[in-house]
Amino acid sequence: MNTFWRTFKVAAWLGWEMDSNWTEPWLFMVYSVVKPVAGAFILVLMYTVFAFIGNRPDPAAFSYMYVGNSFFIFVGSVLFGTFQVIQSDREWYQTIRYVYISPISYYVYIVGRAVSKVGVAAFAVAITLAFGVAFLGVQIHLTVDAVPLFAASMLLGLAVLLAIGICLGGISFLTAKHTHGLAEGIPGLFYVFCGVLFPLSILPSWGQAIGKAIPLTYWFDITRRLLAPTLGVDSTLAGYSDLTIMALLVVSSVAFFGLSLLIFKTGEYFARKAGKIDMTTSY
Amino acid sequence: MKPATVRRTDLRYRIGLNLRAVVGRSYPRIVGANREPSWIFFEALLPLLGIAAYVFIYQSFGARSFAAAAGNTTAQAVISANTNALIASVVLGGTMVAFWLNVLWSMASQLYWEKEIGNLQLYMMAPMNRMALLGGMAVGGMVMTSMRAVSTLVAGILVFGVIFQVADPLTLLAVFFAALIALYGLGMMFASLYLLWGREAWNLSALMEEPIFFSSGFYFPVGGLFRVPGWGPIIAIIGSFVPATFGLDALRQLTLGSTAFGGQLWIFDVKTELYILVFMAVLFLILARYSLRYLETLAKREGKLTSRHQ
Amino acid sequence: MPYAVETRDLTRIFAGKKKRRIRRKRATGEGEDHLGPVTALDQVSIQIRDGELFGMLGPNGAGKTTLIKILATLLLPTSGQAFVAGHDVAKDPFPIRQRINMVSGGETSGYGLLTARENVWMFSQFYGVPSKVSKGRIDELMHTFGLWDKRDAKVRMLSTGQRQKMNMIRGFVTDPDILFLDEPTLGLDVNAARVIRDYITNWVRSQKSKTVLLTTHYMAEADQMCDRIAIIDNGKILACDTPENLKRMIRTETTFRLEVDTIRDIASFSSMEGVKNFSHTDDISKNRTHLTFILEDEGPVAEILSTITSQGKKVHSLQKSEPTLEDVFISMVGRGFE
Ligand SMILES: Nc1ncnc2c1ncn2[C@@H]1O[C@H](COP(=O)(O)OP(=O)(O)OP(=O)(O)O)[C@@H](O)[C@H]1O
Ligand SMILES: [Mg+2]
Repeated sequence: MNTFWRTFKVAAWLGWEMDSNWTEPWLFMVYSVVKPVAGAFILVLMYTVFAFIGNRPDPAAFSYMYVGNSFFIFVGSVLFGTFQVIQSDREWYQTIRYVYISPISYYVYIVGRAVSKVGVAAFAVAITLAFGVAFLGVQIHLTVDAVPLFAASMLLGLAVLLAIGICLGGISFLTAKHTHGLAEGIPGLFYVFCGVLFPLSILPSWGQAIGKAIPLTYWFDITRRLLAPTLGVDSTLAGYSDLTIMALLVVSSVAFFGLSLLIFKTGEYFARKAGKIDMTTSY
Repeated sequence: MKPATVRRTDLRYRIGLNLRAVVGRSYPRIVGANREPSWIFFEALLPLLGIAAYVFIYQSFGARSFAAAAGNTTAQAVISANTNALIASVVLGGTMVAFWLNVLWSMASQLYWEKEIGNLQLYMMAPMNRMALLGGMAVGGMVMTSMRAVSTLVAGILVFGVIFQVADPLTLLAVFFAALIALYGLGMMFASLYLLWGREAWNLSALMEEPIFFSSGFYFPVGGLFRVPGWGPIIAIIGSFVPATFGLDALRQLTLGSTAFGGQLWIFDVKTELYILVFMAVLFLILARYSLRYLETLAKREGKLTSRHQ
Repeated sequence: MPYAVETRDLTRIFAGKKKRRIRRKRATGEGEDHLGPVTALDQVSIQIRDGELFGMLGPNGAGKTTLIKILATLLLPTSGQAFVAGHDVAKDPFPIRQRINMVSGGETSGYGLLTARENVWMFSQFYGVPSKVSKGRIDELMHTFGLWDKRDAKVRMLSTGQRQKMNMIRGFVTDPDILFLDEPTLGLDVNAARVIRDYITNWVRSQKSKTVLLTTHYMAEADQMCDRIAIIDNGKILACDTPENLKRMIRTETTFRLEVDTIRDIASFSSMEGVKNFSHTDDISKNRTHLTFILEDEGPVAEILSTITSQGKKVHSLQKSEPTLEDVFISMVGRGFE
């Protein structure tokens, strides 16, 4: 346990240094916020254009999308923060072999490296939401008795995300330098199927089935229920009570933790077998 | 082997040399991408999902609007047409995003990357023109990326049922290639600057994703941004320095008809935008050449052409 | 007739590293701890004739790589001039680049996804070599250097030595007139190093006006291959002549080799009168130390022996010998090897 904790601490420190020390702290803060806020603005403009050309204004759908997108910042950064560790250590810093042969758990190391990303993402989510409420008329009402449930759901959601990130890490042991395809693609998967921006009901029935199989769907739903209970846009998950959803989240985060261990170890095993641990694949 | 060759310097020789250099440098990109089969999945198919998300947003907006207009068939027809045009705009933007990302990550940051892996000094020692090197990267990058661009387009038409009406295919091609050359010209210019900025370059590329998607109107007609009172036009004008802005605006006019969106969301007419793009293409290429030459001299003076391997 | 390479008072000063607030993980590995400016080359004037195989000997950090980089048009001189094939490296790089190539030991060039053959071919394209000619030469060189069975292996699968062979092929494939080789046999096994040495020597000798500038740390390699050798230290050329003449230079001095029990206290030798220079290496397996002394005459031998025996160490052998290139090196830059 002690080694785990030490590894975790060092990796978290390293991750923070790598993320932030290329520039002045204030510039780093601006940088961390500009990207997600600009991402939110894309949606704002999409909505603006839609309303501008003669369609009915639809503030409920807009709030739905805006809140979902704000929380999606977690998905992008946590997933990227985990699987990118292997790719950047291998291709860019070329330190992976030295870290890998050191007597620590590489799994814990990766989790540690991702922690700073979670922190920065939380900051960006808060800013984005605040901006939406202040200037864009986004509707948020978090009641006091919902806070414990909200905190629990956040914790579980992040755990699921970390686990998924590690699964991807396990896979990227075996693949070439695809940071970008992965960075866009996997979050894209959740962007489409998890009811982040639009209700699941717009998807074809097979798409809805995929959505219901991904725990993040429930995470987004419960988050939105607790934060913006008055929207009433989605009906797909209306049959589930808050507690059912929480239970589903608990089960799935445990399942995903196991899965991530399995995939990670498998990826690692095959990478060692094929001599791919420290390959470089530039072109 | 032959005895010492006489070295030629005539124009024909130089053209041949630089063409070979272009082919040589584009080769690893073209075969390299195919050699790693995971590439097709990761670089061409996965990113489609992100674009699909934007498509579904408009579908969902459209469906709600459509339902609300129940009983009014004319209004419903307008809503359907608008929704199709918006989705088509997203699909076109998605094809352009592929190129823009390639420009950022495989052009702009490439020279810096080459330096780190030790190739840059070998390139700088060879007699070919440095623009041939960048040209080779660009050509390779375009070929590599067109797969993703095409798959986006095909998915748009087959999966999302987008309807394009192309009346003037020649102008369409002209606009597309002018925009592409201008984009890669910009990337070449960045390539030399990144060499100067070093590690910060990575973050710079990351910073030019969402904000540029936004300011250049990758996922919505950029005219919408011009119509936001106050800050909108300012952001849009800044965004127009990225050739994708005019390129997309012209492509959307050419594929959706200039009357789409009630004709209210275009910046200029297609001809003007084409001229601007050609101008940008020439300008960026020239600037790229000079900034590269400047950077090369600077690097040679300070001993920065090599970094890790002495 | 112009020299293949000529430098006049060539000086290169590296500005001190700016102290950066930014601490990258990578940056710590680079470890240039000096902060002030470094004079890597100090008024270097050499002339390398057409068709010559010219060697550069010097300890680490002497300035060899810096010189090669300047000649290869990768680095500008701070002052002085350098000419390659009659052209000024600072003003007229294009005709130079057509005629040169460079291979450095331990370099990691190329793209991991390409095969060895494709990588070399790619680089040849930057010199305008027609593909057919290039492929023919690559195959021929791959046979010569024993890389034929790895011709279609991806570069990332090659071992260090195989990579180095590939780099050598990259250097020869453009058929340069002047080839710069920076420690070309680094990381090669004895056999492969011999093959490459022979190839280089033969390449220069059998063709008219092919010139090689080679740096190395292997004295025997330099002695055996080079027509002339420059000894460089701290950016200064200390001597430049044929290996024979260099050895003759210290003929007036006497070289003694001793084999003694492992001995730690060697500082006292340097202050002895008549000791010009000396070097020592420990043979751990036999628990012995080999000492080489360059003496003005035989006078100090007795004192040396008594110093050793007074420490309770045994002298196993003592021999006066003909000077080797190594002795020349020790006599000139020995202090770097203490
Ligand atoms: N880019 C650079 N910036 C600052 N100093 C440098 C740079 N390149 C070389 N130097 C310094 O110049 C001096 C000469 O270096 P050079 O690489 O020429 O030595 P060398 O003779 O090739 O040594 P070795 O035998 O170790 O290869 C060294 O002190 C080195 O630290
Ligand atoms: Mg060196």
